[in-house]
Amino acid sequence: MVAALAAVGLASTAVLAGCSSGDDGASGTDDPAASDDGGNDSENLNEDGGGETCADNPENPLCGSSDTNMQGKSIEFGYSRIGGWPPSSAPEAMWPAFQSYAKETYGYDVSDLAFAEAPFGELFQKIAPTLASGSNEFNLMIVDSQWLGALSEPGWIVKADDVFSLNPELDIEPYSSLVTNTYQVYPDGSGQRWGFPQMPDTQGVFLRKDWLEDPANQAAFKDATGKDLPTTYEEYENILMDDFLEIVDFFNDPSGGVYGTALMYSKEYDFFSCAYYPFAYSTGGEIWNPETNDVYGILNSEVNAAAMEKFVGLQDYQPETFATQGIGDMIDLFTQGRAFSAFQWLAVGAFMHNPEAPEGGVASPDQYLAIPLPKFEGPDGDANIIGAMGGQPWVINSFNDDDQMRVSVDFLKWWYLPETQDVFILDNGGLPWSKEGAANPAYADIPYLKPFLYMLGEGRSQDFWHLPEYSEMLAVQQEAFNGYATGTVSSAAEALDYSAAKQQEILFNAGRTTVAPPEGTAGRTLQ
Amino acid sequence: MSSSSAPSSVASRLEEGIPAPAPPRAKSKKTWWSWGLLVPVLVFFILMNVIPTIWMLGLSFYNYTLTSAGDPQFIGMDNYTQLAGAGPLWLSLGRTFTFMVLAVAIQTVLGAVVGYLFWKSNKVPGRRLALTLLFTPMILTPLSSGLFWRLMLDPVFGVINYFVELVGLEKIDFTTDATLAFPAVLVVDSWMWIPFMALMTLAALGSVPKAELEAAQVDNLSFWQRLVHVIIPAGKFIIILGILLRTIDVFKTMDLVYLMTNGGPGDRTELIAVALYRLAFKSFNLGYSSALAVLLLFIAIALTSIYLFVLNLRSRREAENA
Repeated sequence: MVAALAAVGLASTAVLAGCSSGDDGASGTDDPAASDDGGNDSENLNEDGGGETCADNPENPLCGSSDTNMQGKSIEFGYSRIGGWPPSSAPEAMWPAFQSYAKETYGYDVSDLAFAEAPFGELFQKIAPTLASGSNEFNLMIVDSQWLGALSEPGWIVKADDVFSLNPELDIEPYSSLVTNTYQVYPDGSGQRWGFPQMPDTQGVFLRKDWLEDPANQAAFKDATGKDLPTTYEEYENILMDDFLEIVDFFNDPSGGVYGTALMYSKEYDFFSCAYYPFAYSTGGEIWNPETNDVYGILNSEVNAAAMEKFVGLQDYQPETFATQGIGDMIDLFTQGRAFSAFQWLAVGAFMHNPEAPEGGVASPDQYLAIPLPKFEGPDGDANIIGAMGGQPWVINSFNDDDQMRVSVDFLKWWYLPETQDVFILDNGGLPWSKEGAANPAYADIPYLKPFLYMLGEGRSQDFWHLPEYSEMLAVQQEAFNGYATGTVSSAAEALDYSAAKQQEILFNAGRTTVAPPEGTAGRTLQ
Repeated sequence: MSSSSAPSSVASRLEEGIPAPAPPRAKSKKTWWSWGLLVPVLVFFILMNVIPTIWMLGLSFYNYTLTSAGDPQFIGMDNYTQLAGAGPLWLSLGRTFTFMVLAVAIQTVLGAVVGYLFWKSNKVPGRRLALTLLFTPMILTPLSSGLFWRLMLDPVFGVINYFVELVGLEKIDFTTDATLAFPAVLVVDSWMWIPFMALMTLAALGSVPKAELEAAQVDNLSFWQRLVHVIIPAGKFIIILGILLRTIDVFKTMDLVYLMTNGGPGDRTELIAVALYRLAFKSFNLGYSSALAVLLLFIAIALTSIYLFVLNLRSRREAENA
């Protein structure tokens, strides 16, 4: 019976040969994604344009709508977003304004915004199968920056460069190269852009300003350490980690239910990795070689092991549940007055206070101070900080029909209007990513803008892999790193060595590198 | 002879008022009717089971990652060869068998005790309500059970740790402690499925002939004698079926673990179904994950074969007794 089944299975190979996204990803006759290069028609559209501008060829869908070609039409439209991540819900709240804009500017009706959402770890699972089947269910997508390779290599998304060449007004000058390298470019260093920045994000620390300014705390700190308790942003901008931990230690009182700090160690998605990376990057550690795609010998370094020991050692200032802490836990611990400080993504700054917080909690933004990540002694002995980049780009579905493609481009034109960005940033917790937006005085009062822009400065943050294999690589190291934090892996060095070997194996098997993993990697387990 | 006797036989039957047997045409109609009822099920089965299984089998011979740009590449048995050397997966499989043996043993023993207690309490008021409540965990989805148990076990605000502290003990980190996470999942799975084994026990006890029980009572047999000589011989098939069904089901445990511990801490609760889920739906490594799925399918088929063997054994016994 087994042999018979195997025979039937082999017989199905002829059918399977045609199941790649490249071959049958787009079959609709009016589907602009129908092309020989795997479904992505953006190149064809560009070729159609032949270097022309939209004035020459206003019917090119990547130009967006013209004054006439969408008049009187009704368009169904939808997007995908990250569940539980407020900045990606903002487009839905702002959608009625776009509906009015589309009607007034181009004369078409666009439906209420349909959406699908899933948490960070699951959204890719939701959109990848639909895109693999050539679906245009999600016309625009908010995605994580790590997914650019996985979405662009199979031809599922439109190349942003093609849109920029036709619509130069969308090619906005970014605040720093970090924006371009994180949200737009794939492969790394190629200069090819696929994404449009939606929500930029960097890391920082939220501190209890009201506790710092309490004279009793200041006096007690002086007595305990002989030092003055820093209270201003300027004093914290260049603070060293060890000095910062002295303050954390001062406020740490587990018996009273108050902890000195809170960081993310969860196995979920990239929570542990992104919280740990600044400790490694800033002390001279690297996680891979983006040019050769090699990991082994780079990730498993002594510098990285020491950084991980330091990172996990901070559990002394945190609740017993530290190993499961994620973004939401940071918010809860801080706003409920259970932690003096929280290492957090600055994009959730709008949620780091809660008007309904219990007594002792953070009910108002006046109660906290947002600062950049504390600095470490770098490889050359100088104070150094390199954080991890967060945030998400928009990407356009290659399988959109012509009208949906026009609406997508229209939407982006509307989204990047200064007045739209004002609503996004001032009313919906957004952050600016362009030079112009960063200089907008209207945003100056955002209490976490200063550390955000500081960390968005050249060289102060960096993103990690954008390869299609990111998910496999991430799962391996999240399990190993979290294993070290929970004591199931004996040492930081072992967690890093295991991860490096497995990631080298993944990249070698995918043909990304010619360097094979160490012998015995396949059979290696975490025990 | 038969051809000549047949008409007279029919005539004599008619004379006696006995209706003639249905003509062949009627039989044909019945067959068509049977097939008519069967076809929708068969079509559904073929579309939803057979074709995907064959597809999966074919895919297992390919190198195909959904998110890569390339076409699927035929690589023969490479996925299976790779599987043979994949230490973490075999570790997960071993962990799954450990979980399976422990879970089924706990659920069978405790389920039998609970079932027996209910059987003996058939005159106690409120028994029906108690039975209904007992079966509640079984009808909840594993996702919701996993979620609320995770919340109850939470060391910061979980209700269980609240009581732990009330009795003067230190809070226990059930789901992230390297030694406690696996037992925690085991306990919750048992909480969900002990009622099922209790139900099977009740059914088994109900199948014991009353006459035999009364005879045992008249003979003044002890509890253990009645258990060994009367109850177990009569009810063992149902209990064995319960054990086998649970074995197959525990082997597939995924959602409860995913919600409670996400396979952690580290990989301490990563059962094979969770590993398969990660390979297929996180890494989108469809060829390799199909190979693993095929391997698990054969293990499940082996377990099912035992189940079918036991069922047939019972039929054969009944036929022999008849």
